[in-house]
Amino acid sequence: MGTDRYAYQSRLRRVAPLPKLVLAAAALVVCLCCDSVWVGLTTVLAMGILITVLGGLPVKVYLHFLKVPLAFLVVGGITILIHSYPTGTATLAALPVGERLWGFTAGDLDQAARLFCKAMGAVGCMYFLSLNTPVTDLTMALERLRVPRLAVELMELIYRFIFVLGATAANIRLAQESRLGYQGFRRSVRSLGELSSMVFLRAWRKAQSIYTALEARGYAGSLATLAGDYTPGLWLLPLTVAIAGGQLLVYGLERMAVG
Amino acid sequence: MRQSGFNRFLLTGGMLAALAGSLMVNAGAMHIAEGWLPVNWCLLWGAVCIPFVVAGFLSIKRRIDQAPRAKILLAMCGAFAFVLSALKIPSFSGSCSHPTGVGLGAILFGPLTMAVLGLIVLLFQALLLAHGGLTTLGANTFSMAIAGPILSWAVYRLLRKMKAPPALAVFAAAALGDLFTYVVTSLQLGLVNGGMEKFLAIFAVTQVPLAIAEGLLTVVIFNVLEKYSQAQLQELRVL
Repeated sequence: MGTDRYAYQSRLRRVAPLPKLVLAAAALVVCLCCDSVWVGLTTVLAMGILITVLGGLPVKVYLHFLKVPLAFLVVGGITILIHSYPTGTATLAALPVGERLWGFTAGDLDQAARLFCKAMGAVGCMYFLSLNTPVTDLTMALERLRVPRLAVELMELIYRFIFVLGATAANIRLAQESRLGYQGFRRSVRSLGELSSMVFLRAWRKAQSIYTALEARGYAGSLATLAGDYTPGLWLLPLTVAIAGGQLLVYGLERMAVG
Repeated sequence: MRQSGFNRFLLTGGMLAALAGSLMVNAGAMHIAEGWLPVNWCLLWGAVCIPFVVAGFLSIKRRIDQAPRAKILLAMCGAFAFVLSALKIPSFSGSCSHPTGVGLGAILFGPLTMAVLGLIVLLFQALLLAHGGLTTLGANTFSMAIAGPILSWAVYRLLRKMKAPPALAVFAAAALGDLFTYVVTSLQLGLVNGGMEKFLAIFAVTQVPLAIAEGLLTVVIFNVLEKYSQAQLQELRVL
Protein backbone atom coordinates (compact mmCIF):
# COMPACT_ATOMS: atom_id res chain seq x y z
CA MET A 1 0.00 0.00 0.00
CA GLY A 2 1.44 3.37 -1.02
CA THR A 3 4.98 3.94 0.15
CA ASP A 4 5.21 0.84 2.31
CA ARG A 5 5.90 -1.56 -0.53
CA TYR A 6 8.95 0.45 -1.59
CA ALA A 7 10.18 0.86 1.97
CA TYR A 8 10.62 -2.89 2.27
CA GLN A 9 12.66 -2.94 -0.97
CA SER A 10 14.87 -0.01 0.00
CA ARG A 11 18.60 -0.55 0.40
CA LEU A 12 18.42 1.48 3.61
CA ARG A 13 15.83 -0.93 5.01
CA ARG A 14 18.34 -2.59 7.35
CA VAL A 15 19.70 0.69 8.70
CA ALA A 16 18.45 1.51 12.20
CA PRO A 17 15.34 3.72 12.00
CA LEU A 18 16.46 6.39 14.45
CA PRO A 19 19.26 7.98 12.33
CA LYS A 20 16.89 8.04 9.35
CA LEU A 21 14.26 9.74 11.48
CA VAL A 22 16.81 12.30 12.66
CA LEU A 23 17.95 13.05 9.11
CA ALA A 24 14.40 13.54 7.81
CA ALA A 25 13.36 15.65 10.81
CA ALA A 26 16.42 17.91 10.65
CA ALA A 27 16.03 18.57 6.93
CA LEU A 28 12.29 19.14 7.39
CA VAL A 29 12.73 21.69 10.18
CA VAL A 30 15.46 23.61 8.33
CA CYS A 31 13.37 23.64 5.15
CA LEU A 32 10.32 24.96 7.02
CA CYS A 33 12.25 27.60 8.94
CA CYS A 34 14.08 29.01 5.90
CA ASP A 35 10.81 29.51 3.98
CA SER A 36 12.47 30.14 0.63
CA VAL A 37 12.05 28.96 -2.94
CA TRP A 38 15.61 27.81 -3.42
CA VAL A 39 15.95 25.98 -0.10
CA GLY A 40 12.71 24.12 -0.91
CA LEU A 41 13.93 23.11 -4.34
CA THR A 42 17.35 22.11 -2.96
CA THR A 43 15.70 19.98 -0.29
CA VAL A 44 13.41 18.12 -2.65
CA LEU A 45 16.36 17.52 -5.00
CA ALA A 46 18.69 16.38 -2.20
CA MET A 47 16.08 14.00 -0.79
CA GLY A 48 15.46 12.69 -4.30
CA ILE A 49 19.18 11.94 -4.66
CA LEU A 50 19.32 10.22 -1.26
CA ILE A 51 16.21 8.16 -1.96
CA THR A 52 17.26 7.09 -5.45
CA VAL A 53 21.02 6.68 -4.99
CA LEU A 54 21.22 5.38 -1.41
CA GLY A 55 17.80 3.74 -1.23
CA GLY A 56 17.79 2.45 -4.79
CA LEU A 57 14.30 3.67 -5.69
CA PRO A 58 13.71 4.23 -9.43
CA VAL A 59 13.57 7.95 -10.25
CA LYS A 60 10.23 7.45 -11.99
CA VAL A 61 8.66 6.16 -8.79
CA TYR A 62 9.95 9.12 -6.78
CA LEU A 63 8.51 11.54 -9.33
CA HIS A 64 5.22 9.68 -9.21
CA PHE A 65 5.09 10.04 -5.43
CA LEU A 66 5.89 13.75 -5.69
CA LYS A 67 2.74 14.15 -7.76
CA VAL A 68 0.50 12.88 -4.94
CA PRO A 69 0.31 16.08 -2.84
CA LEU A 70 0.37 18.23 -5.99
CA ALA A 71 -3.42 18.50 -6.21
CA PHE A 72 -3.68 20.12 -2.77
CA LEU A 73 -0.66 22.32 -3.39
CA VAL A 74 -1.96 23.60 -6.74
CA VAL A 75 -5.47 24.35 -5.46
CA GLY A 76 -4.16 25.90 -2.25
CA GLY A 77 -1.56 27.85 -4.20
CA ILE A 78 -4.12 29.27 -6.61
CA THR A 79 -6.35 30.26 -3.72
CA ILE A 80 -3.49 32.18 -2.14
CA LEU A 81 -2.30 33.57 -5.48
CA ILE A 82 -5.54 35.12 -6.72
CA HIS A 83 -6.69 38.25 -4.95
CA SER A 84 -9.21 40.90 -5.84
CA TYR A 85 -7.82 44.39 -6.37
CA PRO A 86 -9.41 47.73 -7.21
CA THR A 87 -8.93 48.65 -10.87
CA GLY A 88 -5.65 50.38 -11.56
CA THR A 89 -3.48 48.19 -9.30
CA ALA A 90 -0.20 47.10 -10.89
CA THR A 91 -0.90 43.41 -11.35
CA LEU A 92 1.11 40.88 -13.32
CA ALA A 93 -2.00 39.23 -14.69
CA ALA A 94 -5.63 39.92 -13.90
CA LEU A 95 -9.15 39.54 -15.16
CA PRO A 96 -11.53 42.45 -14.67
CA VAL A 97 -14.73 41.19 -13.06
CA GLY A 98 -17.27 43.93 -12.60
CA GLU A 99 -15.59 46.83 -10.84
CA ARG A 100 -12.61 44.90 -9.54
CA LEU A 101 -9.55 43.10 -10.85
CA TRP A 102 -9.03 39.45 -9.99
CA GLY A 103 -5.40 38.51 -10.38
CA PHE A 104 -2.01 38.55 -8.74
CA THR A 105 0.84 40.97 -8.20
CA ALA A 106 4.55 40.19 -8.08
CA GLY A 107 4.32 39.93 -4.28
CA ASP A 108 1.48 37.41 -4.45
CA LEU A 109 3.39 35.32 -6.97
CA ASP A 110 6.45 35.35 -4.74
CA GLN A 111 4.44 34.30 -1.69
CA ALA A 112 2.69 31.46 -3.53
CA ALA A 113 5.96 30.24 -5.07
CA ARG A 114 7.69 30.24 -1.68
CA LEU A 115 4.88 28.26 -0.10
CA PHE A 116 4.75 25.80 -2.96
CA CYS A 117 8.51 25.11 -3.03
CA LYS A 118 8.74 24.92 0.75
CA ALA A 119 5.94 22.35 0.80
CA MET A 120 7.59 20.30 -1.95
CA GLY A 121 10.84 20.26 0.03
CA ALA A 122 8.99 19.15 3.16
CA VAL A 123 7.22 16.41 1.22
CA GLY A 124 10.61 15.21 0.00
CA CYS A 125 11.84 14.91 3.61
CA MET A 126 8.78 12.93 4.58
CA TYR A 127 9.34 10.61 1.62
CA PHE A 128 12.94 10.00 2.67
CA LEU A 129 11.53 8.62 5.90
CA SER A 130 8.53 6.71 4.56
CA LEU A 131 10.18 5.30 1.41
CA ASN A 132 13.13 3.88 3.36
CA THR A 133 11.58 2.85 6.66
CA PRO A 134 8.72 0.36 7.00
CA VAL A 135 6.11 1.33 9.58
CA THR A 136 7.03 -1.57 11.85
CA ASP A 137 10.57 -0.16 12.15
CA LEU A 138 9.19 3.30 12.86
CA THR A 139 7.00 2.07 15.69
CA MET A 140 10.05 0.41 17.18
CA ALA A 141 11.90 3.74 16.98
CA LEU A 142 8.95 5.45 18.67
CA GLU A 143 9.18 2.96 21.50
CA ARG A 144 12.83 3.85 21.97
CA LEU A 145 11.78 7.50 22.09
CA ARG A 146 9.65 6.66 25.15
CA VAL A 147 6.25 6.88 23.49
CA PRO A 148 3.91 4.95 25.83
CA ARG A 149 3.89 1.21 25.22
CA LEU A 150 0.13 1.10 24.77
CA ALA A 151 0.16 3.76 22.02
CA VAL A 152 2.92 1.93 20.15
CA GLU A 153 1.06 -1.35 20.45
CA LEU A 154 -2.16 0.22 19.17
CA MET A 155 -0.22 1.56 16.20
CA GLU A 156 1.29 -1.82 15.43
CA LEU A 157 -2.07 -3.55 15.67
CA ILE A 158 -3.85 -0.93 13.57
CA TYR A 159 -1.11 -1.15 10.95
CA ARG A 160 -1.54 -4.90 10.68
CA PHE A 161 -5.35 -4.76 10.64
CA ILE A 162 -5.38 -2.12 7.88
CA PHE A 163 -4.15 -4.74 5.43
CA VAL A 164 -6.55 -7.40 6.69
CA LEU A 165 -9.58 -5.13 6.40
CA GLY A 166 -8.34 -3.59 3.16
CA ALA A 167 -8.30 -7.00 1.52
CA THR A 168 -11.81 -7.73 2.83
CA ALA A 169 -13.13 -4.41 1.53
CA ALA A 170 -11.49 -4.92 -1.87
CA ASN A 171 -13.07 -8.38 -2.22
CA ILE A 172 -16.54 -7.13 -1.33
CA ARG A 173 -16.16 -4.18 -3.69
CA LEU A 174 -15.17 -6.45 -6.57
CA ALA A 175 -18.15 -8.70 -5.91
CA GLN A 176 -20.48 -5.69 -5.81
CA GLU A 177 -19.03 -4.14 -8.93
CA SER A 178 -19.38 -7.35 -10.91
CA ARG A 179 -23.08 -7.30 -9.98
CA LEU A 180 -23.49 -3.68 -11.19
CA GLY A 181 -23.61 -2.41 -7.63
CA TYR A 182 -22.17 1.00 -8.49
CA GLN A 183 -24.47 2.03 -11.34
CA GLY A 184 -25.99 5.39 -10.45
CA PHE A 185 -25.92 7.42 -7.29
CA ARG A 186 -28.62 5.65 -5.23
CA ARG A 187 -27.23 2.21 -5.83
CA SER A 188 -23.67 3.38 -5.18
CA VAL A 189 -24.61 4.82 -1.80
CA ARG A 190 -26.45 1.65 -0.84
CA SER A 191 -23.63 -0.63 -1.96
CA LEU A 192 -20.99 1.45 -0.22
CA GLY A 193 -23.06 1.54 2.96
CA GLU A 194 -23.48 -2.22 2.93
CA LEU A 195 -19.79 -2.67 2.24
CA SER A 196 -18.77 -0.42 5.12
CA SER A 197 -21.07 -2.04 7.63
CA MET A 198 -20.04 -5.54 6.55
CA VAL A 199 -16.37 -4.60 6.90
CA PHE A 200 -17.15 -3.31 10.38
CA LEU A 201 -18.95 -6.53 11.29
CA ARG A 202 -16.14 -8.70 9.96
CA ALA A 203 -13.56 -6.54 11.76
CA TRP A 204 -15.42 -7.10 14.98
CA ARG A 205 -15.62 -10.88 14.52
CA LYS A 206 -11.98 -11.04 13.49
CA ALA A 207 -10.96 -9.07 16.57
CA GLN A 208 -12.84 -11.55 18.76
CA SER A 209 -11.17 -14.57 17.19
CA ILE A 210 -7.74 -12.92 17.28
CA TYR A 211 -8.19 -12.25 20.97
CA THR A 212 -9.22 -15.86 21.56
CA ALA A 213 -6.18 -17.05 19.63
CA LEU A 214 -3.90 -14.76 21.64
CA GLU A 215 -5.32 -15.93 24.93
CA ALA A 216 -4.84 -19.53 23.92
CA ARG A 217 -1.15 -18.71 23.43
CA GLY A 218 -0.67 -17.15 26.83
CA TYR A 219 -1.46 -13.49 26.11
CA ALA A 220 -0.79 -11.44 29.23
CA GLY A 221 -1.75 -7.96 28.11
CA SER A 222 1.03 -6.98 25.75
CA LEU A 223 2.59 -8.21 22.54
CA ALA A 224 6.33 -8.51 23.00
CA THR A 225 8.49 -8.63 19.87
CA LEU A 226 12.23 -8.90 19.33
CA ALA A 227 14.07 -5.86 18.04
CA GLY A 228 14.96 -6.03 14.35
CA ASP A 229 18.42 -6.83 13.04
CA TYR A 230 19.81 -3.41 12.13
CA THR A 231 23.10 -1.86 11.15
CA PRO A 232 23.63 1.17 13.40
CA GLY A 233 23.75 3.64 10.47
CA LEU A 234 25.77 6.21 12.37
CA TRP A 235 27.25 7.36 9.07
CA LEU A 236 23.91 9.02 8.41
CA LEU A 237 24.59 11.58 11.14
CA PRO A 238 27.45 13.43 9.35
CA LEU A 239 25.24 13.31 6.25
CA THR A 240 22.45 14.96 8.25
CA VAL A 241 24.79 17.78 9.25
CA ALA A 242 26.01 18.12 5.65
CA ILE A 243 22.46 18.40 4.31
CA ALA A 244 21.42 20.95 6.91
CA GLY A 245 24.62 22.87 6.13
CA GLY A 246 23.85 22.75 2.42
CA GLN A 247 20.33 24.04 3.00
CA LEU A 248 21.61 26.90 5.14
CA LEU A 249 24.30 27.69 2.55
CA VAL A 250 21.64 27.99 -0.17
CA TYR A 251 19.60 30.18 2.16
CA GLY A 252 22.60 32.42 2.81
CA LEU A 253 23.42 32.69 -0.89
CA GLU A 254 19.84 33.60 -1.67
CA ARG A 255 19.85 36.24 1.03
CA MET A 256 23.07 37.71 -0.35
CA ALA A 257 21.68 37.73 -3.89
CA VAL A 258 18.55 39.58 -2.72
CA GLY A 259 20.16 41.91 -0.23
CA MET B 1 -17.84 45.88 -25.89
CA ARG B 2 -20.70 43.69 -24.79
CA GLN B 3 -19.16 40.81 -26.64
CA SER B 4 -15.82 41.07 -24.80
CA GLY B 5 -17.56 41.51 -21.45
CA PHE B 6 -19.43 38.30 -22.10
CA ASN B 7 -16.19 36.57 -23.05
CA ARG B 8 -14.59 37.66 -19.83
CA PHE B 9 -17.56 36.38 -17.92
CA LEU B 10 -17.25 33.02 -19.67
CA LEU B 11 -13.53 32.89 -18.98
CA THR B 12 -13.95 33.67 -15.29
CA GLY B 13 -16.76 31.16 -14.99
CA GLY B 14 -14.67 28.55 -16.71
CA MET B 15 -11.75 29.20 -14.39
CA LEU B 16 -13.93 28.94 -11.30
CA ALA B 17 -15.52 25.75 -12.58
CA ALA B 18 -12.09 24.26 -13.27
CA LEU B 19 -10.97 25.25 -9.78
CA ALA B 20 -14.03 23.67 -8.22
CA GLY B 21 -13.57 20.60 -10.40
CA SER B 22 -9.97 20.11 -9.40
CA LEU B 23 -10.97 20.28 -5.75
CA MET B 24 -13.72 17.73 -6.27
CA VAL B 25 -11.42 15.21 -7.87
CA ASN B 26 -8.76 15.74 -5.27
CA ALA B 27 -8.96 13.05 -2.64
CA GLY B 28 -6.67 14.61 -0.09
CA ALA B 29 -8.03 18.14 -0.34
CA MET B 30 -9.09 18.20 3.28
CA HIS B 31 -5.72 17.10 4.61
CA ILE B 32 -3.38 20.06 4.90
CA ALA B 33 -0.27 19.00 2.99
CA GLU B 34 3.17 18.57 4.50
CA GLY B 35 5.08 21.82 4.74
CA TRP B 36 2.08 24.07 4.16
CA LEU B 37 1.94 25.58 7.64
CA PRO B 38 4.74 27.66 9.20
CA VAL B 39 6.56 26.21 12.19
CA ASN B 40 4.76 28.28 14.84
CA TRP B 41 1.32 27.20 13.58
CA CYS B 42 2.41 23.55 13.49
CA LEU B 43 3.48 23.80 17.12
CA LEU B 44 0.33 25.67 18.13
CA TRP B 45 -2.08 23.13 16.60
CA GLY B 46 -0.01 20.32 18.02
CA ALA B 47 -0.25 21.87 21.48
CA VAL B 48 -4.01 22.37 21.13
CA CYS B 49 -4.40 18.66 20.37
CA ILE B 50 -2.39 17.43 23.36
CA PRO B 51 -5.08 17.67 26.08
CA PHE B 52 -7.65 15.87 23.92
CA VAL B 53 -5.25 13.13 22.91
CA VAL B 54 -4.03 12.62 26.48
CA ALA B 55 -7.60 12.47 27.79
CA GLY B 56 -8.50 9.99 25.04
CA PHE B 57 -5.43 7.92 25.78
CA LEU B 58 -6.25 7.74 29.47
CA SER B 59 -9.84 6.74 28.77
CA ILE B 60 -8.63 4.00 26.40
CA LYS B 61 -6.18 2.83 29.03
CA ARG B 62 -8.95 2.60 31.61
CA ARG B 63 -11.09 0.54 29.27
CA ILE B 64 -8.24 -1.82 28.51
CA ASP B 65 -7.42 -2.26 32.19
CA GLN B 66 -11.02 -3.29 32.77
CA ALA B 67 -11.25 -5.55 29.72
CA PRO B 68 -8.01 -6.50 27.91
CA ARG B 69 -10.06 -7.53 24.89
CA ALA B 70 -10.82 -3.86 24.24
CA LYS B 71 -7.29 -3.34 22.91
CA ILE B 72 -7.82 -5.62 19.92
CA LEU B 73 -11.30 -4.19 19.34
CA LEU B 74 -10.08 -0.60 19.41
CA ALA B 75 -7.23 -1.42 17.05
CA MET B 76 -9.77 -2.99 14.68
CA CYS B 77 -11.87 0.17 14.93
CA GLY B 78 -8.84 2.29 14.04
CA ALA B 79 -8.06 0.12 11.03
CA PHE B 80 -11.73 0.33 10.04
CA ALA B 81 -11.51 4.13 10.10
CA PHE B 82 -8.46 4.01 7.83
CA VAL B 83 -10.07 1.62 5.36
CA LEU B 84 -13.29 3.66 5.36
CA SER B 85 -11.40 6.83 4.51
CA ALA B 86 -9.69 5.05 1.63
CA LEU B 87 -13.00 4.05 0.00
CA LYS B 88 -14.36 6.13 -2.83
CA ILE B 89 -17.64 7.84 -2.07
CA PRO B 90 -20.00 8.60 -4.99
CA SER B 91 -20.95 12.22 -5.45
CA PHE B 92 -23.77 13.92 -7.34
CA SER B 93 -21.42 15.37 -9.92
CA GLY B 94 -20.20 11.94 -10.95
CA SER B 95 -16.77 12.55 -9.50
CA CYS B 96 -15.42 10.78 -6.45
CA SER B 97 -14.11 11.73 -3.09
CA HIS B 98 -13.42 9.90 0.13
CA PRO B 99 -15.64 9.79 3.21
CA THR B 100 -14.07 11.30 6.28
CA GLY B 101 -15.72 8.85 8.66
CA VAL B 102 -15.81 11.67 11.19
CA GLY B 103 -19.48 11.26 12.07
CA LEU B 104 -19.52 7.47 12.08
CA GLY B 105 -16.45 7.22 14.28
CA ALA B 106 -17.72 9.80 16.73
CA ILE B 107 -21.12 8.13 17.13
CA LEU B 108 -19.66 4.63 17.43
CA PHE B 109 -16.62 5.25 19.60
CA GLY B 110 -17.19 8.65 21.24
CA PRO B 111 -15.08 11.76 20.69
CA LEU B 112 -12.31 10.96 23.18
CA THR B 113 -11.44 7.58 21.70
CA MET B 114 -11.75 9.12 18.26
CA ALA B 115 -9.00 11.66 19.06
CA VAL B 116 -6.43 8.90 19.65
CA LEU B 117 -7.55 6.60 16.85
CA GLY B 118 -7.79 9.58 14.50
CA LEU B 119 -4.26 10.68 15.33
CA ILE B 120 -2.86 7.24 14.53
CA VAL B 121 -4.93 6.95 11.34
CA LEU B 122 -3.80 10.39 10.18
CA LEU B 123 -0.18 9.49 10.88
CA PHE B 124 -0.51 6.39 8.72
CA GLN B 125 -2.27 8.35 6.00
CA ALA B 126 0.62 10.80 5.96
CA LEU B 127 3.29 8.10 5.90
CA LEU B 128 1.65 5.55 3.64
CA LEU B 129 -0.44 7.68 1.29
CA ALA B 130 1.12 11.17 1.63
CA HIS B 131 -2.30 12.56 2.55
CA GLY B 132 -1.43 15.24 5.07
CA GLY B 133 1.98 15.37 6.66
CA LEU B 134 4.09 15.01 9.75
CA THR B 135 4.39 18.71 10.56
CA THR B 136 0.73 19.35 9.76
CA LEU B 137 -0.34 16.35 11.81
CA GLY B 138 -1.45 18.57 14.68
CA ALA B 139 -3.63 20.78 12.50
CA ASN B 140 -5.16 17.82 10.69
CA THR B 141 -5.77 15.97 13.94
CA PHE B 142 -7.55 18.99 15.36
CA SER B 143 -9.89 19.43 12.40
CA MET B 144 -10.59 15.78 11.61
CA ALA B 145 -10.11 13.85 14.83
CA ILE B 146 -11.16 16.41 17.44
CA ALA B 147 -13.34 19.31 16.22
CA GLY B 148 -15.42 17.35 13.69
CA PRO B 149 -16.10 14.33 15.93
CA ILE B 150 -16.98 16.49 18.95
CA LEU B 151 -19.57 18.40 16.91
CA SER B 152 -20.93 15.17 15.38
CA TRP B 153 -21.21 13.54 18.74
CA ALA B 154 -22.91 16.58 20.30
CA VAL B 155 -25.39 16.85 17.42
CA TYR B 156 -26.19 13.15 17.64
CA ARG B 157 -26.71 13.20 21.40
CA LEU B 158 -28.79 16.37 21.25
CA LEU B 159 -31.08 15.12 18.49
CA ARG B 160 -31.54 11.75 20.18
CA LYS B 161 -32.44 13.51 23.40
CA MET B 162 -34.96 15.61 21.52
CA LYS B 163 -36.55 12.33 20.36
CA ALA B 164 -35.65 12.96 16.74
CA PRO B 165 -35.80 9.88 14.49
CA PRO B 166 -32.47 7.99 14.61
CA ALA B 167 -31.93 8.29 10.85
CA LEU B 168 -32.22 12.07 11.03
CA ALA B 169 -29.84 12.25 13.99
CA VAL B 170 -27.25 10.12 12.20
CA PHE B 171 -27.60 12.10 8.97
CA ALA B 172 -27.31 15.46 10.70
CA ALA B 173 -24.36 14.34 12.83
CA ALA B 174 -22.40 12.97 9.87
CA ALA B 175 -23.16 15.82 7.44
CA LEU B 176 -22.59 18.60 9.97
CA GLY B 177 -19.44 16.97 11.36
CA ASP B 178 -18.12 16.72 7.82
CA LEU B 179 -18.90 20.36 7.08
CA PHE B 180 -17.46 21.53 10.38
CA THR B 181 -14.22 19.71 9.59
CA TYR B 182 -13.96 21.73 6.38
CA VAL B 183 -14.80 24.96 8.13
CA VAL B 184 -12.02 24.33 10.65
CA THR B 185 -9.61 23.44 7.84
CA SER B 186 -10.45 26.69 6.00
CA LEU B 187 -9.93 28.55 9.23
CA GLN B 188 -6.54 26.93 9.72
CA LEU B 189 -5.53 27.76 6.15
CA GLY B 190 -6.98 31.27 6.26
CA LEU B 191 -5.32 32.19 9.54
CA VAL B 192 -1.90 31.67 8.02
CA ASN B 193 -2.14 33.29 4.62
CA GLY B 194 -5.41 35.21 4.74
CA GLY B 195 -8.20 34.55 2.29
CA MET B 196 -10.32 32.54 4.69
CA GLU B 197 -13.50 33.53 2.87
CA LYS B 198 -12.01 32.25 -0.40
CA PHE B 199 -11.29 28.85 1.12
CA LEU B 200 -14.75 28.83 2.68
CA ALA B 201 -16.35 29.72 -0.65
CA ILE B 202 -14.57 26.91 -2.47
CA PHE B 203 -15.50 24.46 0.27
CA ALA B 204 -19.09 25.65 0.34
CA VAL B 205 -19.46 24.91 -3.37
CA THR B 206 -17.66 21.60 -3.38
CA GLN B 207 -18.13 20.12 0.05
CA VAL B 208 -21.83 20.60 0.70
CA PRO B 209 -22.78 17.90 -1.84
CA LEU B 210 -20.08 15.68 -0.40
CA ALA B 211 -21.30 16.24 3.14
CA ILE B 212 -24.83 15.29 2.07
CA ALA B 213 -23.50 12.19 0.33
CA GLU B 214 -21.55 11.22 3.43
CA GLY B 215 -24.62 11.81 5.60
CA LEU B 216 -26.70 9.49 3.41
CA LEU B 217 -23.94 6.90 3.41
CA THR B 218 -23.68 6.98 7.19
CA VAL B 219 -27.45 6.47 7.51
CA VAL B 220 -27.23 3.40 5.25
CA ILE B 221 -24.30 2.06 7.28
CA PHE B 222 -26.24 2.56 10.49
CA ASN B 223 -29.37 0.85 9.17
CA VAL B 224 -27.38 -2.23 8.24
CA LEU B 225 -25.49 -2.18 11.54
CA GLU B 226 -28.73 -1.95 13.50
CA LYS B 227 -30.14 -4.90 11.59
CA TYR B 228 -27.18 -7.22 11.87
CA SER B 229 -24.99 -6.18 14.74
CA GLN B 230 -27.24 -5.09 17.56
CA ALA B 231 -25.00 -6.92 20.03
CA GLN B 232 -21.85 -5.09 18.95
CA LEU B 233 -23.57 -1.72 19.15
CA GLN B 234 -24.71 -2.56 22.66
CA GLU B 235 -21.21 -3.57 23.61
CA LEU B 236 -19.71 -0.39 22.20
CA ARG B 237 -21.89 1.66 24.44
CA VAL B 238 -20.40 -0.03 27.48
CA LEU B 239 -16.96 -0.62 25.97
